[in-house]
Amino acid sequence: MAVIHDVMPSFGLYQPASVADALNLLDRHGRDAWILAGGLDSFDWLKDRIKRPKAVVDLSGISELQGIRESGDGLEIGAMTTLTEVVRHPAVRERYSLLLEAAEHAASPQIRNQGTIGGNVSQDTRCWYYRTGWFCYRAGGNICYADTPTAMNREHAILGADRCVAVNPSDTAPALIALDASMVVRSKSGERVVPAEEYFIGPGTDITRMTILQPGDLLTAIRIPGTWGGARFYFEKVRDRNVWDFALVSVASAMSDNGETIERVRIAVNGVAARPLRLRAVEDAVRGKARSEETAKLAGDLAIQGALPLQHNAYKVPLMRNLVKRAIRGAEGA
Amino acid sequence: MEEPIIERGTEEKRPISRRDFIKGVIAAGAVATSASYLFRSTGAMFSQSSAQGSVERLITLNVNGQIRRVDVMNQETLAMTLRYKLGLTGTKLGCDRAECGACTVLIDDVPHYSCSVLTHTVRSRKILTIEGLASPRGELHPIQQAVVDEQGFQCAFCMSGFVMAAVGFLKLNPNPTRSELAHGISGNLCRCQDYNKILTAFMRGAEYMRRA
Amino acid sequence: MADKADNKLIGKNYTPPDHIAKVTGKAKWAEDFRADGMLFCKLLLSPMPHARVRKIDLRAALAMPGVKAILTADDLPKLDGPGAERALTNEPLYQGEPVLAVAAVDELTAAEAIERIDIDWEPLPFVVDPLESLRPNGPSARLEGNVWAPPAPRPAGATGAPPQPEIKTLKWTAEDFVEEAAGRLPMGKVLEEWSYGDLDAGFKEAALVLDETFVVNGSHHQTMESRSAMAYWQNGKLHIYCSTQSVVRTADNLSQWLGIPASDIVLVSEYTGGGFGSKGGGPISMTIPAVLSKKVNAPVMMRISREEEHYIGRVRTNMTGRVKIGFRKDGRITAMDLFIVQDNGSYGRWNDYAGAGNAASLMYQPLAMRWRGVSVFTNTFPKMQQRSPGPMQGNGIVEPVLTKAAKQLGLDQIEIHKINAPAGKAPFGPAVGPGGPNGKRPYVTSAFVKEALDRGAERFKWAERKAQAGQRRGSKVRGVGVAVGPHGSGSIGYDGIVTIRPDGKLYVQSGVGNLGTHSMVDLARVAADILAMPWERVEVIWGDTGKFLPWSCLSVGSQTTHAMTRANHAAAMDAKRKLLEIAAKDLGGSPDEYELGNARVYQRGNPGRGLSYAQAGARAIALGGKYDGHELPEDIHDFTKRSAKELAGLGLMGVAKDNYPRDGATWSFVAGFAEVEVDVETGKTTVIDYLAVGDVGTVINPRSLGGQLHGGSCLGIGHALFQKMVYDQHYGMPLAKRFHYNKPLTILDIPPTLDWDAVNLPDPETPVGARGTGEPPVGAGYCAVMNAIADAVGVDVFRRGPVTPDVILMSLEHGRRMHEPLKAHV
Repeated sequence: MAVIHDVMPSFGLYQPASVADALNLLDRHGRDAWILAGGLDSFDWLKDRIKRPKAVVDLSGISELQGIRESGDGLEIGAMTTLTEVVRHPAVRERYSLLLEAAEHAASPQIRNQGTIGGNVSQDTRCWYYRTGWFCYRAGGNICYADTPTAMNREHAILGADRCVAVNPSDTAPALIALDASMVVRSKSGERVVPAEEYFIGPGTDITRMTILQPGDLLTAIRIPGTWGGARFYFEKVRDRNVWDFALVSVASAMSDNGETIERVRIAVNGVAARPLRLRAVEDAVRGKARSEETAKLAGDLAIQGALPLQHNAYKVPLMRNLVKRAIRGAEGA
Repeated sequence: MEEPIIERGTEEKRPISRRDFIKGVIAAGAVATSASYLFRSTGAMFSQSSAQGSVERLITLNVNGQIRRVDVMNQETLAMTLRYKLGLTGTKLGCDRAECGACTVLIDDVPHYSCSVLTHTVRSRKILTIEGLASPRGELHPIQQAVVDEQGFQCAFCMSGFVMAAVGFLKLNPNPTRSELAHGISGNLCRCQDYNKILTAFMRGAEYMRRA
Repeated sequence: MADKADNKLIGKNYTPPDHIAKVTGKAKWAEDFRADGMLFCKLLLSPMPHARVRKIDLRAALAMPGVKAILTADDLPKLDGPGAERALTNEPLYQGEPVLAVAAVDELTAAEAIERIDIDWEPLPFVVDPLESLRPNGPSARLEGNVWAPPAPRPAGATGAPPQPEIKTLKWTAEDFVEEAAGRLPMGKVLEEWSYGDLDAGFKEAALVLDETFVVNGSHHQTMESRSAMAYWQNGKLHIYCSTQSVVRTADNLSQWLGIPASDIVLVSEYTGGGFGSKGGGPISMTIPAVLSKKVNAPVMMRISREEEHYIGRVRTNMTGRVKIGFRKDGRITAMDLFIVQDNGSYGRWNDYAGAGNAASLMYQPLAMRWRGVSVFTNTFPKMQQRSPGPMQGNGIVEPVLTKAAKQLGLDQIEIHKINAPAGKAPFGPAVGPGGPNGKRPYVTSAFVKEALDRGAERFKWAERKAQAGQRRGSKVRGVGVAVGPHGSGSIGYDGIVTIRPDGKLYVQSGVGNLGTHSMVDLARVAADILAMPWERVEVIWGDTGKFLPWSCLSVGSQTTHAMTRANHAAAMDAKRKLLEIAAKDLGGSPDEYELGNARVYQRGNPGRGLSYAQAGARAIALGGKYDGHELPEDIHDFTKRSAKELAGLGLMGVAKDNYPRDGATWSFVAGFAEVEVDVETGKTTVIDYLAVGDVGTVINPRSLGGQLHGGSCLGIGHALFQKMVYDQHYGMPLAKRFHYNKPLTILDIPPTLDWDAVNLPDPETPVGARGTGEPPVGAGYCAVMNAIADAVGVDVFRRGPVTPDVILMSLEHGRRMHEPLKAHV
């Protein structure tokens, strides 16, 4: 059988108007179902004819999944809210500019106009071997093509690899972890609310998935607590081109200090592992310390402990170190 | 008529390189194919159309202010509907993968990559393409006029998408700096890399729009 | 030389008339055409880097409803010549090479049919890195061999066809590869070399000798419009709608590829979405719908996807170059020894590596020089000339060494460029002439490089910026760079046809392509100026061989402006002569008593006594003969004759071949000035300002020129910052596919201020004074940015382009270069 990576295959298209209908469809079709949010990750898979779902469930008609609501002292963002809506929302701008910056650095304006925050955090990895349709571990095979002595792996993982060395590409994921957000996941059997940090999974947990979502599950909303509203934020994404490209490494941090020492801090990085990593050891080490160059250096050095570069991605080690340093220094010290 | 099996004979054995051949690629495709192969669309699609939540093929679109009835496959993108069903070939396909912006159209005034929008998802929305930008009497939109006046663009294959992105951006940001405008239209590639002249043309277009 | 017309149009801005069609969406590119009963075709691409088809089983595909026909390589005409590429193959030489095409009622059916085709493959040896192929016992990309050997010297007195280049097998010894460990390019046996001057003496005389190796990465042309094409046959003629840089020349090529006369082809390409060299004489892939539509007796649309374009859409040659240069204390180059291993890709014979040598000899005027090179086949995408093919890579190998030398000698970058710059009728290359070495080196028609450098230095405020360079602010450090890109910029000897018709309008037939340069219209203004014709009354006919076009240059290699200003000049001068003669015939006196003005021919000083062009056009038809194209000059090309015969009788015809003399080869030059800011904590480079100054002769359309200078500069900047091909060397598979991983420059990657200027000095060897300009800004942009990065963070930080954040960060982190020193496509 010859392979052709072109022309979307036909599929059943379902356009439910409510979450309940969507969950019924997902339940009914099980592994044959494909959730379509903004579609920017989905269409790649479908046009490459690598994924062949029988039933595509388009969420764009479900109004309860859209929009940003005040919720307690924080915000609840519907999973189908576009990145542009996130960027423009006054509450996000005023209190959670970390998320604004992360969303604003994603892809391109048109993609942000269409791509959703739910899709952004749930998207698949961009490992170019896996996305080309090579039968690797993540695709159900028994090899990682990106982790051979001759593999081209400039954009791959330096931490947390387990057979697969792919990385998570999401820009908003580290920001949501830093903001201590939680993810609302619904299925026919009920609703779960999990911390953002635990939403993402590495290959050690399940090598074929990027998140905890199982067939039948739907991410419906993201909740951001009031805890970090208006805190001192730092976001930086280093990429090749200033449009479209995913992060080589990104960092997001939320911090509060009393003018002298760091009181509370959460810091996460992405582009270095199969899931965005919260840097707990760094947080513990800098808490109570002055926001100084010395503390920044300590944080940077600690962050990269255990990093294991591949043939072409050793640069990610100093890059991650330097971005963590900058996160401690803050925007004015960059 | 066609020869169904073309035998090319067995060639002498050649030494195979010390490297391995990638059987994985071929195998991966084969697995996916045999697992979920679908036969041609027509029959399969109509038989599904009665299922709960699924879509009808014959739909109504609002394109450039006109109501158009059109038969659309489930997997059809808006770019293909515009170009091959509605004869609106001004919208270009540069990459078909949301990587270039040549297919940009406005959906409810917002720039979208029409290559990456299922037509079925925009049934109740207002679609504006490059063909709908000039007035019915043929007066160019200020952005179009500015492109002409400044000789913006070279080969212009990216032009429709760029113009639509600019029109969408300027609706919300009528008085941008050059840098803000660049950010606003940054989702469009130009391989002639005439970006500087494009910006000059659109800055003038923004001025025309403010004056109009 | 011909008399200088009053330039009312040349040198002035205007908007080309096709802009309205483009901006309203009415302009039709190849994929915008439709025909009744049009079928679609999809391609089956090779899954392997090198293999042979043993057996194809089409049964399941042909049994599918809606599948109309399948085309294989066996259906295509054979093409002569070693290494010749056809649109389909039974022995794919790279992963992604088209093997067969399926025509069906729609693309979905065609795609599904392809999935039902079974091919039994015989895998063959492959290699994607040229040096790997040169290793002892290294694999060869082709069964015939791995390198190009130049044509054998022709024995004296030999007759018949001249000897052709051949594909041969060349392997170096293990000893040759010893140098590899030190990151220096091994220099084994090559089959091509030339030299002039005393190299050894040059190195002895030098105060500083540097020996460096650089890799210039190949990258895709990635035109916005892919090479889609639609074809059908009607009354025995092929009608084809395609995407090509050239129109007349593409029809000519297509006739050879298909083995049918050019007169049986109606080729339409009114708009082309960019070429950059990849569609020079037209893509060979257009033969697929041409033959398939005949086989299936229906129109066939071949829509080339972005991924397919990535495979078949052509790539710049990759070069690994090593250069040893001797410098005097004042920076003057005494000797240059340049050695290049070129990745030739899977097909064709690409002479970029020779172009790099010629360009280096011209650009830096070394007192003595040797060039050696080898072009190695690899199982990678077919290469083709890309905007400044050769000189750009030559720049890329030599410029960083110049910058390093300037640092070590304590010289300014501009000074070291100036002291080595070509001026006037500067020589280049080896001493060869027709029939072999004749002791005299070829030279250019003119060069005003020092003028361009001076003008740019002032405009860019070089001295001020230089004073700021190297100072660190926070994590940022700035640097400035300058480089000059050269390129051959004009051919001669083509034809022009203009007609002045009874409607009083001037019609200029334009046989070149409309690929975004606007030259197909801009150059018609030459004829309008000579004939004193208001621009509103000029119609340019282009883009359709059914509209009778003259034999023209290929729209490639910065040739068009030079070649077609001359051809249009010649045709307009012929029309002018005929106007004067007709006036003299009708109104008395001799032709030289008449002059042209405001679309009239009249007695000198007495505008009342004359003929309008409408009258003159009608009179020409009445007179017949040479006046209305019924008698044609002998020396014009057959293609032009055919077209002129069709146009005969429509009005007064000016038709002529460009026979103007030219002393020297025409080259253009662009000086690029860049300022960058490098973030030493992330390795990211931002280009903050850029200026391109052209030495490109007389300016025809300033805005077109500015667009070319900026577009070319940005292509070079993209090569410096991001663009590259990446292959998995083990599997021979391309990884950096489509736009996303090929990373063409976006609008947020260009410098926020981007400026241009031109010395605007006419070339003395061409009537309008204009030279071409598409290519030379590329090498300037590439190297000005590379030099600026070196100025900011050190001349030893990188030895390959693009200089991505990983390259800079690793070098700074480790205090030495950490990247692959020699490998292609990483």
